Amino acid sequence: MDYSIQKFLWTLLGLFIVLNWGFLMGSTMRRIGARLAGRVGVPIYQPWIDMIKMISLRTYLSHGVLYYIGPVFRLVGGIGMFLFMPVLVGSEIWSNYSFSGDLILLLYFQSFGMLGMALGASESGSPNATIGISRGLAQFAAVEVPMTLAVIAIAIQHHTFSFSEILDAQQGGFMNWTLFTNPLASIAGMLAMLGAMSHSPFNLVKAPNEIPIGPPTEYHSSFLSVLRTNSAIIHVVEAALFMNLFFGGADTWFMYIIKTFFVYFISVFIGMVFPRFKIEDSVRWFLKWPTVIGIIAVLVAAYWK
Amino acid sequence: MVGPIYIIAIALGLAFFLGFFGKSLKDVSAFLMLAGLAFMTFISGQWLLAFFNGSVTTQEIFTAGFRPPYSINLRMGYEEAVMTTMINVIGFLGGVYMFKRLKEVGNSAMSVFIVLIMSLNVIVMTRDLFNLFVFVEIGSIATAGMIILEKNSKSLQAGLKYLMATGVISGLLLIGIIFAYYFAGSLNIDGIITAHVGVTKAGAVAVFLIIAVLVLELKPFPANGWGLDVYQSAKPGFGAIVSAATATAGLYVLYKVLPMGGETWYPYIVLIGLITFVGSNLVGTRQKDANRLLGYSSIGQIGLVMTVIGLQPILGSKFSFIAFALLLNHYLAKAGLFWLSGIIKKEKISDWYVLRKNKALLILFVIFIFALIGFPPFPSFFGKYELIMSLVSTENIWIAVLILLGSFAEGIYMFKWLGDVLKDEDQTEESLNISWNKFIPIVIVGVSLLAAGFYSTPYVEGAHYFYFIPLGFIVFMGLIDFLPAYVKNTLSIAGMTYYSYIIYPLVEGDLMRTIFFVIFMIGGILTLIVGYNKKGKREGFYPVALMMYAGLATILTSDSMFGFFFGWELMTAGSYFLIIRGKRSKPHAYSYMLFSVAGAYLILLGFAFAYTSAGTQDLIALKDIAVYTTLAYTLLAVGFMTKTASLGLHIWLPGAHGEAESDVSPMVSAILLKAGVFGLMLLFLYMGQQTGETLLFVLGWVGAFTALVGNLAAVFQEDAKRLLAYSSIGQLGYILFAIAMMTQLGWLAGFTYVINHFLFKAILFIVVGGIVVRTGTHNLYQMGGLLKKMPFSFVAVLIGIITLAGIPPLSGFAGKWLFYNAVVLKGWYIQGVIVFFAGSIAFMYAFKLIHSIFLGQLKDNHRNIKELSPAILIPAYILIGGIIYFSAYPQNVLEPIGNMLSAYFPATVDWSGDGLATTVLSYWNGNAVLIIIVTTFILVLAYLKLITGKTTKLEQFNIAYSAERPFRPETTHVSYNMFAGLNKAIGFLIAPGITRFWKNISDMVLDLAGFIRRLYSGNGQVYAVHIIIYIVIFYFISLG
Repeated sequence: MDYSIQKFLWTLLGLFIVLNWGFLMGSTMRRIGARLAGRVGVPIYQPWIDMIKMISLRTYLSHGVLYYIGPVFRLVGGIGMFLFMPVLVGSEIWSNYSFSGDLILLLYFQSFGMLGMALGASESGSPNATIGISRGLAQFAAVEVPMTLAVIAIAIQHHTFSFSEILDAQQGGFMNWTLFTNPLASIAGMLAMLGAMSHSPFNLVKAPNEIPIGPPTEYHSSFLSVLRTNSAIIHVVEAALFMNLFFGGADTWFMYIIKTFFVYFISVFIGMVFPRFKIEDSVRWFLKWPTVIGIIAVLVAAYWK
Repeated sequence: MVGPIYIIAIALGLAFFLGFFGKSLKDVSAFLMLAGLAFMTFISGQWLLAFFNGSVTTQEIFTAGFRPPYSINLRMGYEEAVMTTMINVIGFLGGVYMFKRLKEVGNSAMSVFIVLIMSLNVIVMTRDLFNLFVFVEIGSIATAGMIILEKNSKSLQAGLKYLMATGVISGLLLIGIIFAYYFAGSLNIDGIITAHVGVTKAGAVAVFLIIAVLVLELKPFPANGWGLDVYQSAKPGFGAIVSAATATAGLYVLYKVLPMGGETWYPYIVLIGLITFVGSNLVGTRQKDANRLLGYSSIGQIGLVMTVIGLQPILGSKFSFIAFALLLNHYLAKAGLFWLSGIIKKEKISDWYVLRKNKALLILFVIFIFALIGFPPFPSFFGKYELIMSLVSTENIWIAVLILLGSFAEGIYMFKWLGDVLKDEDQTEESLNISWNKFIPIVIVGVSLLAAGFYSTPYVEGAHYFYFIPLGFIVFMGLIDFLPAYVKNTLSIAGMTYYSYIIYPLVEGDLMRTIFFVIFMIGGILTLIVGYNKKGKREGFYPVALMMYAGLATILTSDSMFGFFFGWELMTAGSYFLIIRGKRSKPHAYSYMLFSVAGAYLILLGFAFAYTSAGTQDLIALKDIAVYTTLAYTLLAVGFMTKTASLGLHIWLPGAHGEAESDVSPMVSAILLKAGVFGLMLLFLYMGQQTGETLLFVLGWVGAFTALVGNLAAVFQEDAKRLLAYSSIGQLGYILFAIAMMTQLGWLAGFTYVINHFLFKAILFIVVGGIVVRTGTHNLYQMGGLLKKMPFSFVAVLIGIITLAGIPPLSGFAGKWLFYNAVVLKGWYIQGVIVFFAGSIAFMYAFKLIHSIFLGQLKDNHRNIKELSPAILIPAYILIGGIIYFSAYPQNVLEPIGNMLSAYFPATVDWSGDGLATTVLSYWNGNAVLIIIVTTFILVLAYLKLITGKTTKLEQFNIAYSAERPFRPETTHVSYNMFAGLNKAIGFLIAPGITRFWKNISDMVLDLAGFIRRLYSGNGQVYAVHIIIYIVIFYFISLG
């Protein structure tokens, strides 16, 4: 078989695994959360049922072209992030399309889905969508600061932005993980992750429980199914990003699943414990401690270079 | 050839005979007066011509057949011929101008006037001190007579004060002459010079008195209250004579008498001239009365020429050109302005908007103002350039600085005035009453100014007649201004295309210049296409737009510092007029001009240091400036940064770009700002990393904070165009940061930003400008939901903001990728993070822009709105084509630039054949990313299509919103204060501290001017005391 087609099929398989693992991880987390609240929680297969239900709806409402392709943008954003990052360490077939760009590409590609989604939801004219977006953008900008500092500290440390080289440098025992070789950068990065995952205390963007706010409010049926698909993928991929940066990546699918679960669990766990921040507070918070730690991380890395 | 003695004979004879003519023969006598003046002009003119051709040599005219010291002698040399011609021309033109008025007042006025002109002639020609005294007296009395002829109390007072002051002055002159005669045994100037009177202490007193008196005749600051009153209360027609003719004669006398005291006196004249130039212009900043303002300016300009006279030993061979250029410039411009004042008949400068009723007068006014401040192509531009070069190269830096300060102060009130004239609301119905005899003299001096500028060219190193080619075209465009806009637009585009074709060989082979050539010229043509959208005549638009582009082209193609500066100032002038065309642009254009003028002066000083170091005007002189290295490079950098609107120097930009017309905004934003970048790039390349280490480091931080503050301020704008304007500040901050790194990657990033910013900012300003016109509002929150009405505009803006935000796969990401690499390799981590933070913030205003205009709720009054016209969309889509090409094949653009840069910096980027870019840190394949994303997009879209059935179209308000169905778009459209949370958190960062800083500076200057102005009490005795004190102080400084 032609190499490029092979590559395509392997990547598709990887995407399929990640998608289903995302569903499973999501419902597991919901169950854990429910148990903490003294409830039973949803069945573990709930996400698949939701998908089937949403796709089977026969009413399709649209506000216009942009509304229609907003979820497409969003899902392309999620899939793209998957495509541009290698899945397993040192594996040629599981390296996806990471040869076309590295960490920098990934950082900026996050915005691609956000923008499309924001545009699509805005076309509905719902004020809630725009309020959610404006909050999300403000928080995202603040989160980027410690995130960028962490990434730069790592780039100074390993002298590369390439995933495969960052991963190679972390192989040979957990003491080689960035978490231990560059703890300050890891702390800054992981704090940034809390914001990136948008769990409590940084979930005012979607405010999921009390008032339906945020971009997904205006979507339903197949459109919402696409968004759900994306959120399943992106949760795993985001977790994988931090796993690759700080926790030595994964050399088998098993390790991939274990590590992404725990990385994701960190944000969920903290979300269970802390109440929600207002946007101005979360912006201030990210620009304070995580940023200071990030700056120190960069200075230390530059000093040891 | 008619002898110069006939000038006196004719004038005296006429003055005598006019007395016999009765009132009934007023017409005859008036024409006789003009004929007399014309004949005097003819006599001096023919001598001038003869000297010019070299057919005569200096003539000495002796009276009564004796030689000096036994007789009075007059001299007619080249210099005297020039001066008398100048005096007589202005006398004749003044006679024409005041023709009716003189006739009204009567024969006596004509006699006095002709005697005045004659006395000035003699003052210039005489070589005898006592004779000089006599004619100074005659001139003073005639002047007082002319003032008092106006029968009102103000004029009477002014005339009286004038007589008191000149009485004191001539008394002192007489004493000085007596002393001089006693010590030298001669009243002949040449005799006194050869007798070296100044060597002895007592002789020095004689010289002191004579020089001090001649200085006082020139109304030095601050002992000049009486002179100001003359300017204010005399008829403007006569003010022109005092300012142009009397001052010319006075300056020439000072020039010819100065050698009496030997070398020692020159520095004092420089000092007095400088104090007068700076002080008078400073006090002028507070002035609101037009004639008095012209008085301040006159005295200032005379002070400048006086300074130059004092600098004669320093300037050497360049003295004649500089002094003559500055004198002629003042003479023509000030005569023109006073005469204009006589037509306008408004005391307050804020009432001068009536000038707009006559386009020709308006243009002349503009010419005079720009000539006074020293813009090209006027003689003062050439003169000042040479003056500053000479001063700095002879280590007289402080003099140069003070001269530039004085010029700047003059700019403060002149451009304030110009702004009032161009923009103040017209409150009168009355039309301007212009008679031909008043109009023609003004036209003559205006045209003479242009001609004088043209003929200054050969006297300045680096100047070419070539620079005047586009100016000729601009004049042509001005002459056909009555044609409809589309005709002129087509002609302008054709002209620019042809000119681009001519100058392309000059930039060919130089990639950096070629890139800017594309931005300036192709960009210029594209933005001109937008002009087809405009109806009517668009009076005055095309000449000034073309002037800006001509300036840009000159900057790009010139190989000398002079040419660069010529282009720079031309561009500034053109862009000023473009900017001030906006409805509410007056204050913004004003601050733009002040920052530009100040910046230009810094550049001028920097060039002067380079010239001093290298001894050549060639641009290569900027390499390795050896004198005051750090200062020189800093001055140049700050000068260029006034145009790139870096933090601290940016306060003019938002208003200037935001309030400009819809097609002017892209011109001044996407294109004009790049001139500053070009200057900086040129400077940095010549300066080199080693020399500029500290400066570059500081500029890196400045760039980073500029990016942050610019972008953050953009987020909180409610005005669509101001949002884009602040965004420009931020983007230019990136560019400054990038090129300050002085690495190949940094410069690649810089070039990527230059190209991208040009492309997307032009698109955004073109389209948003069109939308602002369509919707009739600048405010984002009053727009909304226009997507369905303007889909093509939407796509254009979308492409623009994706590029702006640096989101892959479009070319904006190329800049970000290069940036990350450059920052980490350079080691500017913290500054880099600030810049990246600014980038995230850019995403916010990008969203705000597109959301508030196109998404959200459509307003009721916009339901019938139409898509923008093709004239707007076609240029925008051509630019989009540029973005798509750059995004798909970044290698094709960036690899050649990288190769070019590797001549200056170590190469750090490798390109493989298939579009993969590699650095030691990172890799990126723009082409592959684009393909992957487009493929994925198509697949996902197909999937969604597959699982989605036929959709039902929803109505505008069919949304879930607090269990209500909203019905008012105004309350449902989220746009106002969109990022309130961010504002609460970090909004304090953009508190207008810098605006306040500049406001305080300007208040301080005005307060100082107000304080000094209290000297002028309006009391004649006080003014006489001023003169005495001035003399005493001058005495103690010079001889005490």
